[in-house]
Amino acid sequence: MTITAPAAHATAVVAPPILELIDVRASYGPIEVLHGVDLIVRAGQVVALLGPNGGGKSTTVKVAAGLLPATSGEVRYAGRPVEGIAAQDAASLGVCTIPEGRGIFPNLSVRENLWLATGTGTSRARVEEAAYRRFPILADRRNQLAGSMSGGEQQMLALSRALTTDPAVLLLDELSMGLAPMIVSQMYDTVAQLVEEGISVLVAEQFARTVLPIADVAAVMLHGRIAAVGSPAEIDADLSTTYLGG
Amino acid sequence: MPLLETQGVTVRFGGNTAVDDVSLSIEPGSVTGLIGPNGAGKTTLFNTVTGMQRPTSGRVFLDGRDITRKAPAKRAHLGVARTFQRLELFLSLSVRDNVRVAGDIVKASRRGAYDVNGETDRLLELTGLASIADLEVSSIPTGRARVVEVARALMTHPRLLLLDEPASGQTEHETEEFAVMLRGLADTGLGICLVEHDLPLVMQLCATIHVLDQGRLIASGTPAEVQASPEVIAAYIGNEEVTA
Amino acid sequence: MDLFLTYTILGLVLGSVYAIAASGLVLTYTTSGIFNFAHGAQAMLAAFLYWQFKVAWGMPTLVAFVLVVCVIGPLLGIVLYNVLMKGLRDVEEVTKVVVTVAVLLGMVALSQWIWDPTQARKMDMLFGSSTSIDVFGVVVRYHELLCVVSAIALAVALRLVFTRTRLGVTMRAVVDDPDLLRLNGYNPERIAMSSWALGSGLAAFAGVLVTPVAGGSLEANTLTLLVIDTFAAAMFGRLRSIPRTFACAIALGLVVTYAGGYAPTQWDWVSNFKAALPMVVLFLVLLVLPQDRLRGTSQTRTRERARVPSVRQAAVWGLAFVAIMYLILQVASPIMVGPLIAALVFAVIALSLVPLTGYAGEINLAPLSFGAIGVIVAFHTGIVGTGLAARLNWVGIVAGTIVTALVGGLVALPALRLRGLYLALGTMAFGGIVSTLVIKEIQPRHWFGLDIALFPAGILVVPPPKIGPLDMAKESTFLMTLAVLFAVLGIGIVALRNTGYGRRLAAMKDSPAATAMLGQSLVKLKLSVFMLSAGIAGLGGILMASTAGSVSAENFLIVVSLSLVMLTVVGGVSHVSGALFGGVMVGLVFTLISGTFSGLAIEHPEFESLFGSFAHLFAIAVALMGIGVNQNPTGVVHQICESYRPLRNARPVLYAGGAVAAGVYVLNYVGVYGDWWLAILMFCGVLLLPIVGRIWMPERMMTPAELAEHEARRTPPPELMGLDQPLSDTERFELDLLLGLPPRPLPLQEFAEELEQLTGKDEVHAPA
Repeated sequence: MTITAPAAHATAVVAPPILELIDVRASYGPIEVLHGVDLIVRAGQVVALLGPNGGGKSTTVKVAAGLLPATSGEVRYAGRPVEGIAAQDAASLGVCTIPEGRGIFPNLSVRENLWLATGTGTSRARVEEAAYRRFPILADRRNQLAGSMSGGEQQMLALSRALTTDPAVLLLDELSMGLAPMIVSQMYDTVAQLVEEGISVLVAEQFARTVLPIADVAAVMLHGRIAAVGSPAEIDADLSTTYLGG
Repeated sequence: MPLLETQGVTVRFGGNTAVDDVSLSIEPGSVTGLIGPNGAGKTTLFNTVTGMQRPTSGRVFLDGRDITRKAPAKRAHLGVARTFQRLELFLSLSVRDNVRVAGDIVKASRRGAYDVNGETDRLLELTGLASIADLEVSSIPTGRARVVEVARALMTHPRLLLLDEPASGQTEHETEEFAVMLRGLADTGLGICLVEHDLPLVMQLCATIHVLDQGRLIASGTPAEVQASPEVIAAYIGNEEVTA
Repeated sequence: MDLFLTYTILGLVLGSVYAIAASGLVLTYTTSGIFNFAHGAQAMLAAFLYWQFKVAWGMPTLVAFVLVVCVIGPLLGIVLYNVLMKGLRDVEEVTKVVVTVAVLLGMVALSQWIWDPTQARKMDMLFGSSTSIDVFGVVVRYHELLCVVSAIALAVALRLVFTRTRLGVTMRAVVDDPDLLRLNGYNPERIAMSSWALGSGLAAFAGVLVTPVAGGSLEANTLTLLVIDTFAAAMFGRLRSIPRTFACAIALGLVVTYAGGYAPTQWDWVSNFKAALPMVVLFLVLLVLPQDRLRGTSQTRTRERARVPSVRQAAVWGLAFVAIMYLILQVASPIMVGPLIAALVFAVIALSLVPLTGYAGEINLAPLSFGAIGVIVAFHTGIVGTGLAARLNWVGIVAGTIVTALVGGLVALPALRLRGLYLALGTMAFGGIVSTLVIKEIQPRHWFGLDIALFPAGILVVPPPKIGPLDMAKESTFLMTLAVLFAVLGIGIVALRNTGYGRRLAAMKDSPAATAMLGQSLVKLKLSVFMLSAGIAGLGGILMASTAGSVSAENFLIVVSLSLVMLTVVGGVSHVSGALFGGVMVGLVFTLISGTFSGLAIEHPEFESLFGSFAHLFAIAVALMGIGVNQNPTGVVHQICESYRPLRNARPVLYAGGAVAAGVYVLNYVGVYGDWWLAILMFCGVLLLPIVGRIWMPERMMTPAELAEHEARRTPPPELMGLDQPLSDTERFELDLLLGLPPRPLPLQEFAEELEQLTGKDEVHAPA
């Protein structure tokens, strides 16, 4: 990966928070999976949420996106509490979420998938144009069912929504899951490009080393809690222990 | 002869290959770990062993006997038992009845005597659930609920016990107790296969560990071997070459 | 060849209407996950409305058509979705089914209120029956042409909507992944609402089209059931695929028409078979559908769980029930015994739902049809003697029960591998087959070397049972026998829940996946409980027939079955008391209410329409109870019992209540007042008991929290201090301080004590 991390550290501290989770708890049915999570993404920052799976990264993203209501605690967008916001309202406020797995509708064609990306107000032509410019392969596949494409192409399609709808915050969940390293680095190039355009990013990722280079802050989640927060370099040093144990 | 053996098991969903040509084995009287990043295909592999998912190709053997096409209930009779990642408790029953009903099932489907109540009491005692046996199962914390699933599975007197993320939702103390219990169970000759994200627990407990990544088996060996394997580190943390 | 063409065209017309109706059904199911049993009732209402606009009010065809199909139909869908269906996303299948069934019953009741069913109405073809064109020598009416053309147009239009409009694409997307759709900024609920609007519009369209094709007479029950014929088509598309649904609908229309047209005239059963064919096809489709994959359920903490009574409690209740029935029998006027017996036989039939639906979570929508099987078998095997001396012996009762259980097993077989909804549809198909085929077997036929008519002359005369010395020709004997039978069956069913078998049923309901993984064959378990349930329903059916003296097709209408199922679920289908509630409502209350109001109407002709309206309002109110079942999934009886539970701690209140009840009863017994007064006084007494208890012995009747609140209410609010009761010295002192007055001297000892009480500390120093 060739992108250099923006030297945002100094400025990040003073930038206003754009997404905050304050002592958030969340459960799936009777199972509580987040036991009080505090997390701040400041304007222009890339926050990497690392840690082995089962730690609660995906759930944190879901709560931030409005897909799962927090059982207690507070979620704030740009400083304002948004208790129990619906995911579709979060989306129209400019929170763009690419969920875990593939963020696409497999039984819809590529064009139809892109069409649905216009739900937050961008025109259909603009979405298609921007997506095809960034990922020309999608133009070739435009009438193909999205589910029949390769994993990488599917993820490109998913990421197109972030590219074209001009969100304020981007929430990414396991962008690299099941993808070849080459494709993963291409994905993160795209994310880095979005960051340069001023979008704030919260990225949950278990492949720590692919995301650390573009991150400003890294947090490690273990057992539904934030176990460590620090600069990417600090976190990188302890990675092996965190993931694979002593 | 291994207790469980999978030969070239492959599961495809549409264009996605969830499990890709996996051949591995599990020995009786030991705890075997099955680890891997999210989406590696661990739960799908479990499902093919328990019969909830037919493999696209490949075969599953229990004690050398081909069980690939057997119904889930039939496999249970042959000694396969499991717990569920997202808890499948019988929410309208008490803790005791959750365990007891497994005995009821055994008694109804097999010939021969089976002391359901006695066995229930013994296992509630063994798993430390006796004190909460009369509570509604929907009211107990997740950590305890995981143990209820284990006790319930043990009621069928299994030879192979598949545990899907049993430690998630448990407190550290509960996990420690749980590890002791599992080791005790393995000592009685039970084969245990553990899918778990709490890797320190896996490393401490398992004699053998299989690592799955993107549906493929990328490493098998002792905890030390697995921890040292570059493929495993790459699978978990990301590829050094890419980031360097 | 001409004949073939004629049948083909007629078949296509029928198939087209099926396709329109079925596609609406599929559309609503895929986007909202709710199978709309009321789809047919919506079609029926639309047909009536169209008739009202066009025929009664003389509106132009086009205006009436547009108003019904494009305005009222979709609006009704939107209202239904927003008011009812939206809240049903995460509820048990039983609740979903019962709510839409209740909507069906409510719509039928509403239509019968507005359009008096005794008055015949006929709906003509849309362009009259005389407008026609000639297709290769076959006369095709414009209306028929319209059916085919609209089906084709609909197929094309749906295809366009699904691929060319954003709404259509979101409808497909919501099936793929509703959460992802949210993330794209769409509200899946709004999409589901649109699909309900569209689906209901299609129901209305089908209703307006099908009525003239089916003969043109407007009859609420028949029209409602017509659309049920399309279930097979919807099911063939696995409730997902519109093209497959269309294909099956057209094929069904053709097969039904050919079957009717080409069968030899001496096959008199063909016309019945033709009517039953859609149900038979539904059955076959259920048989060939691929098995559901066993998967984990996403378990959520459901609302409060039903308490499982112990066998001892059940036995006490059973004894009490028999005793109460005995006491009622002593004072009830003879005309009341008949309805009481009816209540109990229906309660026995409803009891069949407790193990099946209450314990195992499976649904049977046609318990009365199983009853019909029992009656037929008992009729042919168990009647001895003739004329007034004729009796039904135990052989008939046992044979009827056993054969019904076996038939139950056969019926369940195709759907056993599938989820609850499919089994429910399978039973509905069975109900249809029984009422169109079995009960219509009125001519003798050669069966296995015997000449027997299954249902001779359309009416079965079933005499009272006589078992050993117990002759039930006497109504009071019959009533008491039924009371004992119900109590015994009820205790048995409670006992069953407390056995390993009962626990296995509960386990299967809670998590089929886990139950299978423990070694339970789900098919075996479902089959056994279905047979048990069918057997009980068969027994109940036999008893129903012999109390009524004779039964005909009327007694086994699917609508009556649906009412019974709905009311049992409203009462609480996991409890024997729920079955009693269902039975009493269907057998007793319905009869009483309609009888009372029609009696009143005869006595006071000036208020005839008012009393008539009350009866209809009652029917609609009952449907509303079913619609509200989601608010109270454990059942009203259970809820009422819970409110009496604290009385156990307040024995004196109970004893006093018992004494009052005995007094009221004795006064009636000696003839001070009549039955109505007894019923009203008893009702009021029972209603008041918990209230009396709370006033008399609050400390025993309330939880600590409630008690605290109660106490708080008894201490006067600050603004009333000194008005209701004199100020204490302490309060006077504080008040003086507050007002800046020189404080009056306070008895210090007392003040210190008060403070001590308040703070719990010893070292309080009184102010000097």
